Amino acid sequence: MVALFAIYLIINLSLNLQLGYAGIPNFGLVLAVTGGAYTVGWLPIRLCMWIFNIDSQLGADIVKNNALIVSQINSNIQAQPLIGLAVFALTLIVAVAVGSVLGFISAYPAIRLRTDYLAITLLALGEVLSIIGQNYDPLVGGVIGILVPDVWSWSGDSRFTVVSLVLILAAMGTLFILELIARSPISRTFRAIRDNEVAASAMGKNVTKVRMEALVIGSMICSLAGALYAFYVCYVGPAAYGRLEWTFLPWLMVIFGGLGNNFGVVLGTFIFIALEKLIVFYKYAFAFLPFDVIWLEYLLLGSIILVILIFRPSGLMKEKPSQTMPETKLEEIVRKSGKE
Amino acid sequence: MIDPTLIDTITYSSLLGIMTFGLSFVRRTTGVWNIAHAGLITIGAYVVFTCISFFGESPYIYLPLAFVLSAVVAVIEYMLIIETLRKRKASTTMMLISTLAFDLVMLSILNIYADYLQNTFSLLSKNFLLKKLDFTLFDEPGIFWASLLFLIIFLAALYGVLNYTKIGTALRACVYNPTLASISGINVMHTNLLSWFISGGLAGVAGGLLPLWIQGKPVLGDSLIAVMFCVSIVGGVEEIYGTVLGGFLVGFTQILGTSALSIVLGPTVIPYKPLIPMVILVLALLFAPSGIAKVNWNKILTVVKFGGEPKRKI
Repeated sequence: MVALFAIYLIINLSLNLQLGYAGIPNFGLVLAVTGGAYTVGWLPIRLCMWIFNIDSQLGADIVKNNALIVSQINSNIQAQPLIGLAVFALTLIVAVAVGSVLGFISAYPAIRLRTDYLAITLLALGEVLSIIGQNYDPLVGGVIGILVPDVWSWSGDSRFTVVSLVLILAAMGTLFILELIARSPISRTFRAIRDNEVAASAMGKNVTKVRMEALVIGSMICSLAGALYAFYVCYVGPAAYGRLEWTFLPWLMVIFGGLGNNFGVVLGTFIFIALEKLIVFYKYAFAFLPFDVIWLEYLLLGSIILVILIFRPSGLMKEKPSQTMPETKLEEIVRKSGKE
Repeated sequence: MIDPTLIDTITYSSLLGIMTFGLSFVRRTTGVWNIAHAGLITIGAYVVFTCISFFGESPYIYLPLAFVLSAVVAVIEYMLIIETLRKRKASTTMMLISTLAFDLVMLSILNIYADYLQNTFSLLSKNFLLKKLDFTLFDEPGIFWASLLFLIIFLAALYGVLNYTKIGTALRACVYNPTLASISGINVMHTNLLSWFISGGLAGVAGGLLPLWIQGKPVLGDSLIAVMFCVSIVGGVEEIYGTVLGGFLVGFTQILGTSALSIVLGPTVIPYKPLIPMVILVLALLFAPSGIAKVNWNKILTVVKFGGEPKRKI
């Protein structure tokens, strides 16, 4: 639960930056998430083969010999954990770069569109990587997918604890950075454009450029989350990166928590993941039902969102106005201007 | 006998058109992109499948029932969610999200229903194909004729209603200025309700036809929703025939275009067929953002003919 919470939190915070602050309805989150995961499916295995000098005959068909290669790499990483961590860090950097490129490519034709058109266009473009991944085997092994070297294999029995800790740290780091952004002038520009494009444009803001920046930054963060998830599960397959799990659910969590409020997003994500795990945990108590219990979960989530949208559209925690200066200073300025 | 590839292409394009009609229609008349349109299509498929499984006969005779049930669900969606949000002055993005949540609810119910049919009645409800029950006419499958016929009927009916009837004028008035339409005595809620009813019904018919050509499953509509959006945007929602143009452009490019490319580049390009709608979408957004139905072809032809801007009369 901790790992999944951390991964979804990173994606949801990214969506909050794009949707909550900049007003960009990115219905194509899955594109960047998949981009990050595919980077992990493609790069580390090749990098480790080169570093550990794995038999080149095996490397002739990485997909076919995948299990053998990965087991050899994992043994090497167990002996030299620092190399594993270096590969992990380098892959994350590449994944973030891939995310920025994907964000730019998907945004370029669509960013000037009206919000609903933009959402629909991004939704359609979100499918692209999944189609490529399923059909181009050398990328991530086609429909079967590919095993990824376990960069945490050195941690042995405490692997789960170590990975969960790393993921939580990454999520907290993302929250910290995005909170800094939320209190910075760029965030105020985002909100100005979100609330009134014409007025922001009249104030000299380049609306297209700023929206593009928000989308690219958001895609970079999503790509990071996708890469972290792939390293966590040690597997990448196109079927694991569907629109429902990596676009629709994050949207629902963010709306549930509260748009434009990072802490609301944390709360929304936590409640959603806890609810999901609770249902999975008590799955066998519902064994008498003539259908899969997972559908009860989606039914419940969809219904909750509808109720939230109708009765509390601002989510659990409302957006707070950003204060440029401490309140006392603002009051002082108002007092002075009143005297003049 | 017509070339089977051409038959496939026309059937696919016609089905794309029928599926997208409702989506574009409701977007045009009420300003909402309805993601739950996917679920409405799947409902149509399951209505036909259930009736076939329990009562037999031809799938086509259950299409009116598919129309009605999907239309009723669309009306429920409108009344419960869209109208409520509209009264609360929700943004278009919020309405879009609400349709997504409603789709999730429908997806769950459809999956529960499919599981129930499978576990209780031992029906192959999670993957079914009704091709065997289709008729043939002039050696061609019935779905080819039916999809083409329904496309023409729906196009003519919607075009006629929107452009030559009072209801159509009221519908268009509600899109351009709901307040003014309301002042003029038009019941905005009733016209919107009618749009959603028609849109849901069309989705139901499209869903009822689909299992005669491709495999029916609980995610049938959801697996096609991205292509439907592509068709809608490429064709343009402002004109109802834009959907047909978009459907045929996407369908023909996807099937015939891929066949042509495979001759030049080899068979490796065939699996990438689903990418074609996205490529067309990007090109449309770059060169014809209002859709191909809104392109000024006369101007383009003049530019091509004279190699520059058309001469203006002084």
